[in-house]
Amino acid sequence: MHELDLLMSGFATLASNPLALLLALVGVTLGIVIGALPGLTATMGVAILLPFTFGMDPVSGLLMISGVFFGGVYGGSVTAILLRIPGTPAAAATALDGFELTRKGMAGVALGTATLSSFLGGTASIFVLIFMAPILAGFALEFSAPESFALAVFGLSIIASISGRSVIKGLIAGFLGLLIATVGMDPMDGFPRFTGGYTELFNVPFIPVMIGLFAAAEAFKTLEDPKVRLGMAAALGRILPDWPTYRRMLGTVARSSGLGIVIGIIPGAGADIAAYVAYNEAKRFSRTPENYGKGELAGVAACEAGANGCTGGALLTMLTLGIPGDAVTAVMLGALTLQGLQPGPLLLKDHADLVFTLFAGMLFCYVAMLVIGLASLRFMGRVLQMPKSVLTPVILVLCIVGTYAINNSLFDIGVMLAAGVAGYFMQKWDFPASPVVLALIMGPMAEANFRRALSLSSGSYDFLYTRPITVVLLSVAVLTLLLPLVKRWRAHRMESRRPGATSPLHQIK
Amino acid sequence: MSNPSAGSERPGSSDDAVNAMPLTTKIANLVISVVLIAVAASAIATTSDFPKSMLAADVGAARFPIIHSGALILLCLILIANTLRAPTAPAADGQVRVGIAGYAGVALGMLATAACIAAMEHVGYGPATAVYMAVIMALMGQRSPVWNPVLAVGVTALVYGVFHYMLQVPLPVGSLFE
Repeated sequence: MHELDLLMSGFATLASNPLALLLALVGVTLGIVIGALPGLTATMGVAILLPFTFGMDPVSGLLMISGVFFGGVYGGSVTAILLRIPGTPAAAATALDGFELTRKGMAGVALGTATLSSFLGGTASIFVLIFMAPILAGFALEFSAPESFALAVFGLSIIASISGRSVIKGLIAGFLGLLIATVGMDPMDGFPRFTGGYTELFNVPFIPVMIGLFAAAEAFKTLEDPKVRLGMAAALGRILPDWPTYRRMLGTVARSSGLGIVIGIIPGAGADIAAYVAYNEAKRFSRTPENYGKGELAGVAACEAGANGCTGGALLTMLTLGIPGDAVTAVMLGALTLQGLQPGPLLLKDHADLVFTLFAGMLFCYVAMLVIGLASLRFMGRVLQMPKSVLTPVILVLCIVGTYAINNSLFDIGVMLAAGVAGYFMQKWDFPASPVVLALIMGPMAEANFRRALSLSSGSYDFLYTRPITVVLLSVAVLTLLLPLVKRWRAHRMESRRPGATSPLHQIK
Repeated sequence: MSNPSAGSERPGSSDDAVNAMPLTTKIANLVISVVLIAVAASAIATTSDFPKSMLAADVGAARFPIIHSGALILLCLILIANTLRAPTAPAADGQVRVGIAGYAGVALGMLATAACIAAMEHVGYGPATAVYMAVIMALMGQRSPVWNPVLAVGVTALVYGVFHYMLQVPLPVGSLFE
């Protein structure tokens, strides 16, 4: 219980440093705003704030940055639920069920569930960071290119279960996403692929495509129905889910948080991957998987707990090994170095007091996020009271400005518009957009790690079946891909015996 | 993903009823599949220009795009086959039918967005966005001569303030004003 003593001492030190607490509050608030704005990610928020921390003491500076990180991951869910604009890539998974709940007039409960689940997932991840750092850091070291490739394949296998009504259309959307993901620099040789000479396409324009597919497509859709133009968007309803409802989701939240923590500690895998994996596992374990994608509260809880669970996991490898788990912690690594601290195994030993004060502050940040989040939901929900004739133009302007903000590039806005047009027609003809986004996240990770693994094994494919973690992940991936197909086939057999009934297998359009 | 058994293709069978799809859906499926096949085929053709990898053990830059394109073509062919085999059904009763005016609104919205992007390069964020917002509001049926400009300018200024001053993200000035 040495860690517990150090944590208590950390709380005491923190209590005597009101400036650090105030800056943590500022960081969380800014993080929520940054996360909610499309195009601005937690990474960008941390990078923007980094110069401001130069003159601060290490605890104050690092807590403000942590606040932005935690608030940023959570903030993306707000606009994803209310407007189907995923503020961050991780929130794209939250939008799947969150926006459907808004359509049903349950936006408030969806936001409340997202806030509670983000808090629980994030807090659990910080406790894991405090008490299990050395053990989990060792596990992270087991992950090299073959395991990362298998993780990406596992992520991609989720496509089958988020395909909606038609698996084949979901798979088409997924492979289209994978093909788009190959646009840009080849991960091994640096050869530009399918760029047409445009330097802007050297990196996959992932966020513009995501904003276009989700937000712009939805905005274009509202333009087609004259009846809804002057109507209000939706009612907010009650904010907090009732206890019996949320209690039933606690298992999902716990599982998703655990998944988030594990995914967070794997270098290169971030909150976006955690959110999708948590969503898929929640659906797999659910007694009513058919409700997912149609406004299932547990789907929102899973995504948010998974995404926020990732934060502690990502910090874990960064602090204990000096390996950042994702882009945000890579920037935070720089912040630590600027403060004269060297992340790695010696950090906990040489600066235990400071590190545990930081851990105490991180727990404070999550409590602050819960309070600020819940307190501001009514205010943020006001956007739903706007007439659609005002809300839709505002959404489109946010799409444009948010996309521009990523790289200060008008070209990116063009990509966003193209994705928006494509997304509108995809929505119209039942081609789901989520597999495209999932493929854009996982595709580059799968290809880069597969080719790296192949090169490391001198061209031998043995790594696919000789490494235990890889084998387990690939096996689960195959099961994840095939299970929905088998279920539909079995349902088809049962339904085909009942004349006049609609068979799930026949919903292939 | 698999298809119904061949025996289920008899006209008037119960499987026909559940397998049927509206004509517009069939046309859309076929058009989208053909377009995607063309895209995938051209991607495969483009990969022939990709250089071989400098590493002997690497599969090269072309391998993954070819695999993805091949799978895409295969899936599109399955969708085409399923669509052609399915009988045509009348449009679903519960669905909201979008008229010409609805589609015209969407098309104008997309064109206005393209025009806004083009204008932003020359006149900058402020004027392009304010006019764009007013146009979209008008398309959505909000046609107040007072509120439209006020809201358009107000929202444009608010977004500018948040991004430019609060978040230090510079927005386009426009080549005419640089």
